[in-house]
Amino acid sequence: MKKLNFVKVVLFLSLSNLAVGQIKSGEKFVYVGSYNMSGLMTQLAQISLSTNTISTSKNSYLHLSCELATYSKWDKFFKMRDLYESYVDPITLMPSLYKRSIDEGGWTKKEKYVIKGTSVASTAQKRNKPETKNKFSIGTSTQDVVSLLYKVRTVDFSKMSAGQTKAFVIVFDEKQIPVQVKFMGTETVNAGNLGSKSCYKISIDAKTNVLKGKDKNLIWLTADQNKVPALMKFSIPVGTGQLTLTSASGI
Amino acid sequence: MRKLFLILAIVFTVLGVLFTFLPLDTIALAPLFLALIFGVFAYTKSDSVQRKTLNIVLIIAFVATIAVVSKHFLTTDEVSVDSNFEKTKVESQKEAQKTLEEDLE
Repeated sequence: MKKLNFVKVVLFLSLSNLAVGQIKSGEKFVYVGSYNMSGLMTQLAQISLSTNTISTSKNSYLHLSCELATYSKWDKFFKMRDLYESYVDPITLMPSLYKRSIDEGGWTKKEKYVIKGTSVASTAQKRNKPETKNKFSIGTSTQDVVSLLYKVRTVDFSKMSAGQTKAFVIVFDEKQIPVQVKFMGTETVNAGNLGSKSCYKISIDAKTNVLKGKDKNLIWLTADQNKVPALMKFSIPVGTGQLTLTSASGI
Repeated sequence: MRKLFLILAIVFTVLGVLFTFLPLDTIALAPLFLALIFGVFAYTKSDSVQRKTLNIVLIIAFVATIAVVSKHFLTTDEVSVDSNFEKTKVESQKEAQKTLEEDLE
């Protein structure tokens, strides 16, 4: 009887996790990154979002990875190889370690945040400059930029009405930035190998100079249990662009 | 005024053709569109005898525009295999594992 109850509890917890849209290990989404040049969206880079499980002697973490690599035809002019990583709790998606390694046209920067509760120990190193170390505090629910995207995927938008918002806080460049996520309704968009999908249209508004315009930074998440980001549009001070899903696997 | 439009059309055509051969994708359309606009302006201000050079400039700009648009839609983009980036990813994960073991536990 005890065993049966235990199975029931495990089953219930599993179903509860699925209900809030838990992120699976082994997911891989590949996007084409385009930038508006001369009025036409020009394909610049391939962006991959993937997840895998990392186990240590005491804990298990979900490794969220975001890679950007410019297409070979651009490499001679402006080669970009960016890697953003977050190691999070598989259930709460709260980050323990955030890493950023960017190489944009020869300009490099490496950054690492070791997060213990509300205290962050950061190290940063720019090209040809010595490594700098810092310590600062963040809120209990502060995400990093990578885990935020996954956290947004766990929001139950089916219970939200158009215009309703949800607040988050992210830590970026050692600063805490408030982020507002607004549900804007549903639209059907092309989702690569998943075909045409009904999606939740989400607007991201962050109090930062990196993103520009009102309701111009948008994410379309498939309106199903997986909430796959099918299309992302961004507006930055130097122009606009988009990330279009080409393949989704492991969902 | 005709001469100014003609010179601008020639300059932007040369630039556009140059960009067409370089892997600059649709960036080449910017000078080519300007070449076509200035070419049409010059065309309206020219008589039939003066249009010989202009016709050649307009044809070149038009053909280059078609080439850029065709290249944009017909070629497939690929990411080259980058062993340094692969190495960076592997090393980053190893370092992360070490940090998670030592600093967080």
